Amino acid sequence: MGTISSAFSIMSQALDADQEALNVVANNVANATTTGYTVETPTFEENSPVTIGGMSMGQGVTETGATSARNKVLEARLDQQQQLASSSGSRLTALNTLQALFTPDTGSSSSSAGDIGSDITNFFDSFTSLESLPTNNAARQSVLSTAGTLAGDISNAAASLNSQRTAIDQEAAGAPTQINALTSAIAQLNQQITTTSPNADAGTLEDQRQQDISQLSQLVGINQITSPNNGLAITTTSGQLLLSGNTSFQMTTGTVDGVTNFYLNNTNVTAGLTTGGGSLGGELTARDQDIPNALSSLDQLAYSISTTVNAQNNSGTDFDGNTGTAANPLNIFSQPDSVANSAINMSVVMTDPNQIAAAAAGAGTGDSANATAMAAMSGQTFVNGQTPINFYSNFVTTLGSTVSGVQTENTAQTASVTQLQTQNDTLSGVNLNDEASQMTTFERSYQAASQVFSTLNTIMASVLNLGEQSTVS
Amino acid sequence: MRVDPFYATNLVGSLDSAQANEQQLTAELSSGVSINSLSQNPVGSGENVLLLSQIQQDDSFTQSSSQVTGQLQVADSALGSVISSLTSAISLATSANNGTMNASNTKSVANEISGLRDEVQSFANTSYQGQYIFAGGQISSAPFSTSNTSPAVTTYNGDSDVNYLESPNGQNIQLNVPGNQIFMGSGTNSVFAALNALVADYSSGTVNVTQAVDDTQALGTALNYVSQQRVTIDNSINQVSAASEAVTNVKLQLTTAQTNLMQANFGTVSTQLSQAETQQTALEDVIAQLNSTSNTLFSKL
Repeated sequence: MGTISSAFSIMSQALDADQEALNVVANNVANATTTGYTVETPTFEENSPVTIGGMSMGQGVTETGATSARNKVLEARLDQQQQLASSSGSRLTALNTLQALFTPDTGSSSSSAGDIGSDITNFFDSFTSLESLPTNNAARQSVLSTAGTLAGDISNAAASLNSQRTAIDQEAAGAPTQINALTSAIAQLNQQITTTSPNADAGTLEDQRQQDISQLSQLVGINQITSPNNGLAITTTSGQLLLSGNTSFQMTTGTVDGVTNFYLNNTNVTAGLTTGGGSLGGELTARDQDIPNALSSLDQLAYSISTTVNAQNNSGTDFDGNTGTAANPLNIFSQPDSVANSAINMSVVMTDPNQIAAAAAGAGTGDSANATAMAAMSGQTFVNGQTPINFYSNFVTTLGSTVSGVQTENTAQTASVTQLQTQNDTLSGVNLNDEASQMTTFERSYQAASQVFSTLNTIMASVLNLGEQSTVS
Repeated sequence: MRVDPFYATNLVGSLDSAQANEQQLTAELSSGVSINSLSQNPVGSGENVLLLSQIQQDDSFTQSSSQVTGQLQVADSALGSVISSLTSAISLATSANNGTMNASNTKSVANEISGLRDEVQSFANTSYQGQYIFAGGQISSAPFSTSNTSPAVTTYNGDSDVNYLESPNGQNIQLNVPGNQIFMGSGTNSVFAALNALVADYSSGTVNVTQAVDDTQALGTALNYVSQQRVTIDNSINQVSAASEAVTNVKLQLTTAQTNLMQANFGTVSTQLSQAETQQTALEDVIAQLNSTSNTLFSKL
């Protein structure tokens, strides 16, 4: 049978529980803007009732602690989308720098500097003047000067691409330091979580772990595998173990063919990381795919123009009556050995404008048949089956489409991240209105308990005074 | 269902993108160019490269064609002068052939015709900007020279080379007629052979009239032949002018197309900019309202 003192005890427990609950609310409000904080709700548990003489007596309530409002599946999904978005984001940054080298010419001036397209046309056009003035020194000089501009612009573009590639490589090479710091931190948190909270949500520790995983997934593509006792293993998207339980594996770097490669447990994981996601994946895609693609197009263009123009010039007769020979070739451009590096090495080697072979082989110096042939080359399909200007135009279109494609991809992925983030925040974020109403609820509950306590107090006084109004009130 | 307590953060994201949009539109307005990077319009960027290239080619052809026209006109006027010299030579020879002249008169005719031959030779050695225009490919030295022998012999030191100018649509326009073709035609078509023969006919004082009449007729034939060759030059002048005009028209169209492609449409862009600005203002207002402290439940407690 219940006693007044047991009622006192129940009420003091209720006051304690409400106070604890108010603490939880206070903590939520305090952390309303803390990054990675997951809103917590107090857990009330009914104490086991006591049965005395066939009657069940309630024993009050206990506040057993706060539970974080967390959806691990949603969090993992967010991480996954985050790594895609940051991959396309860093690739887009690289591509934007890349495409700035090939800004569309407005055409306001007919030969805007730095535009390879107009350089190509100007170069072949310079032979048109030679058609009518094959011996004119100014017309010959103009061939060499337009050739110089073309070679200079192609070579500069290639050099800029190379330095962009180096810059991206350096940026990517810095990633493992951050990755290693994060994987060690996660492994440590794993250890703590497994020890302190093997069966339930670990609250703040779990928040920290999630925060670190989220940062990690922005850097590199990862897979998360949960293990018993609230543990976690993380691999790269391609399956190499980054950490398992309390052990993390350090990512190391090495240089292969002039670029940084990445190793985990002595395995080269560069290719897997490239397609894996995260900002590192985006950087590696730009470094190993986008920039080399642009470079190889420029190489092809430079190689074809250099070799074909040289061959045509060697097949004619120059102003001094000479025809190019293997020993003394009449090369306008430096003759490339192979397509690779043709662009960066492109230069004009001819210094004497008289060496331009405007005349056909064996013809007098007043002949311009070879100049006509050179001018007509602008319409011939000698660059990968296309005319030089068409090749350049296609290159520009392809590059623009790639950038625009990645842009669209990035926009969609970012929107999806925002959406998932919203979903996650809806569940895990601190809503101050909620907290205000909770606080009021617990406050009222506390007030009610106090009221009951005070009533009990009055009853107790009556009991002590045995119905007499006397000393105890 | 709870709502995302960080709605303001999301709105700031929208605000960012509205501002980026405004920036882009402002850039279009200030530069007047609608395609500022390849990714904005990849196909348009490629198209632009091709259009500009064609415009440049047309420009270059127009420049070359004015140069070429000058050269062709010099050739034409030289041939015009040759024809008038030859006409004088024929009338001199005709008067000498009627048998009324004494020896000294025929000798003086021989001298005059010889002078006319030298004149024709100097026309045949016409140069334009340092290039002998009737020398074929050997343009650096005078193509014609005449010996001091009697009968005199005129030799051609040039070659039969013909140059062409290729127009942007692939038409080949002949730029020169080699001197041997004009002045040294085969048989009776040779101007210098006929002139030298006439000089020889009259220089002795006693004229073989039959021979002289034949030679005079030959000069007449040669004159016609020169006129025919002149037609080639005149045709080229017309072709260059026609091609140049066509190219100018094409260039006009191409320039219009290129301008349409690259020029920002100010009306559209301004409207878009004003919309983006309205959006930005609205977002800012919403954010201000939502973030106001009086809007949380705490302020009502």
